[in-house]
Amino acid sequence: MDLIIENIPFLLKGAYYTLLITVVSMFFGLIIGLLAAIARIKGNRFLRNIARVYVSIIRGTPPLVQIVIVYYGLVDYGIELGPLTAAYIALSINIGAYVSEAFRGAIQSVPKGQTEAALATGMTEKQAMRRIIIPQAIRYAIPPLGNTFVGMLKETSLVSVIAVTELMRSAQLLVAQYYVYMPFYLSIGIMYWGMSTFFTFILNKVEKRLSVY
Amino acid sequence: MIEIEQLYKNYDSHEVLKNLTLSIPAHQVVAVIGPSGSGKSTFLRCINGLEKITQGKISVNGHVIDAKASKKELQKTIYAIRQETGMVFQQFNLYPHKTVIENVMEALIVVKKLPKAKAHKIASDLLERVGLSDKENSYPSQISGGQQQRVAIARALAMEPQLMLFDEPTSALDPELVGEVLKVMKDLAEEGMTMIIVTHEMNFAKNVANRILFMADGVIVEDAEPKAFFEHPQTARAQQFLHQVSEF
Repeated sequence: MDLIIENIPFLLKGAYYTLLITVVSMFFGLIIGLLAAIARIKGNRFLRNIARVYVSIIRGTPPLVQIVIVYYGLVDYGIELGPLTAAYIALSINIGAYVSEAFRGAIQSVPKGQTEAALATGMTEKQAMRRIIIPQAIRYAIPPLGNTFVGMLKETSLVSVIAVTELMRSAQLLVAQYYVYMPFYLSIGIMYWGMSTFFTFILNKVEKRLSVY
Repeated sequence: MIEIEQLYKNYDSHEVLKNLTLSIPAHQVVAVIGPSGSGKSTFLRCINGLEKITQGKISVNGHVIDAKASKKELQKTIYAIRQETGMVFQQFNLYPHKTVIENVMEALIVVKKLPKAKAHKIASDLLERVGLSDKENSYPSQISGGQQQRVAIARALAMEPQLMLFDEPTSALDPELVGEVLKVMKDLAEEGMTMIIVTHEMNFAKNVANRILFMADGVIVEDAEPKAFFEHPQTARAQQFLHQVSEF
């Protein structure tokens, strides 16, 4: 126990990076995902196919493979990324695919009459999308996006393999230093659990808040 | 105001509208009636471009939808027509995430680019006209169906249309709420609005419309004044229909 208390600041720093990576990747993932979803629903054939192939590749390959391709693979082409940058890029691209599926489902759950009503008042397709459809779709998208977010929080542990000292790697470093496993792995387990529970709680609140109309 | 020439509409191989030709002058109130599946709604939706026509031409206020025009040209005309045409739907289709007044203001802000204060004034006046001043800040889910449909009418009127299309505006309403919506429509007709109304409300068609289009199987079977149509339907198809709706 003393060992853990002594190393709490170190673990907290790891937790900070875990959160940072989650939030940054989620932010860019949301943008990528929204664009991909719109491309799949409203794009021409070319854009639709690009988006479809993107989603298919990302969902069909392990995130660990995606991470090592971005960090180690790109070096072969002279692109050397810092570990943290590589983590952001790999995870944003990864999460974008899942977000796009969540958005696509949500956009399609908005009744067709909404688009028609907007068009009938003289809006363009784009205006109808931006003003009428997307604001409603976001409400439908919150539950699946929340799951994606919490999933991402846990998935960040994978970037420990490219030497990003987030929570997982912090524990590994401590294990290497003290030669004891359980206390450290157990503590980070509890920390992951705490963070997941906290965000799930927040998301439930958001969901309730948005469903007032 | 509206000229329709040899209009055809197919869904795949199924012909929904077959060779419609007619013209509708300004200030006319036209009730389109007929059995379900006869193409009434499709006809209405072709006029403001919610349905793509297969063949023929529709001219609204000088803007011509030509089935043969390029996609870009079509888009432009349809956009122009929609600016001058209001539409009211069976399911109201109010924006659930916006308040009543925001529903009415939306197109004024987005399409007409009016400043918010001005849009608010126009919307507020329109809501007063349909008797819903006290519901400005309610959400659609908090008001009755009849009130929702009146908001939808106000929303359509906000763009100062010269033509109003009604697609079964009272079909989704509880019987006791139908009257308040018809009342608003009647007022509108008396003010001289050009209206095309797809409806099952025979009494309303008889009393408010000045022209009846009876459609069956994608064609206009009868085109007559209400009195003539209801008292002396010419075709067997119309006689049968009127007999069926008057049963019980």
